Amino acid sequence: MSQQTLATKVGVTRQTIIAIEKDKYSPSLEVAFKISNVFEVPLEEVFSYD
Amino acid sequence: MNFSYKEKSLITSLVVTLLIFGRYFFGVFSNVTATPSEQFDFSDVIRVIILIAILEGIIKWFFSKKDEADLVDERDKLIDTKSYRNSYWTLCIGAWFILMQLLFEASGIWSISDHLSLQHLIFSSPTYIAHLLLLFFVLSEVIHFSTQLFYYRKGV
Repeated sequence: MSQQTLATKVGVTRQTIIAIEKDKYSPSLEVAFKISNVFEVPLEEVFSYD
Repeated sequence: MNFSYKEKSLITSLVVTLLIFGRYFFGVFSNVTATPSEQFDFSDVIRVIILIAILEGIIKWFFSKKDEADLVDERDKLIDTKSYRNSYWTLCIGAWFILMQLLFEASGIWSISDHLSLQHLIFSSPTYIAHLLLLFFVLSEVIHFSTQLFYYRKGV
């Protein structure tokens, strides 16, 4: 899945997806859940807190 | 170094503002000792602002991708909020600085011109006070753009 496709499905910009991937932005809970729902996996498999 | 549309837009705004207002304020404040008839006409400000708006619009239209510009998401809003906070404080500090100086001058307690030995100082003319206030407005805008750029590059 491309960044743009993910961004469109989640409702954010591609730059936000890039920032999340590069650990430059922590998304809100709503966006985090939307991302995990897109991939159909639990939230903990997508995000972790170190 | 790849810049997003938003970052390009911010850099454009920042550069145009600095160039045009920099030139304008250089002319204004280097003319501190001029007589009122020689000083910059404040209506020049209106022309400068219109010029900036037109230039920014042209440059943004030239470099923009329409679909990339449409969406404003939570990250954009968060960065906007943080940058408005910084520009608000800049403007507040400027306004208080001018206010305190005016009060001190009016009360005769202390005058900056006495201490700096300048005959016709910035605060002696209403026009220059207006220009000084405008300077702080512009400075707050520069802080606004710079803060956004910082957070877009560094992360928030």
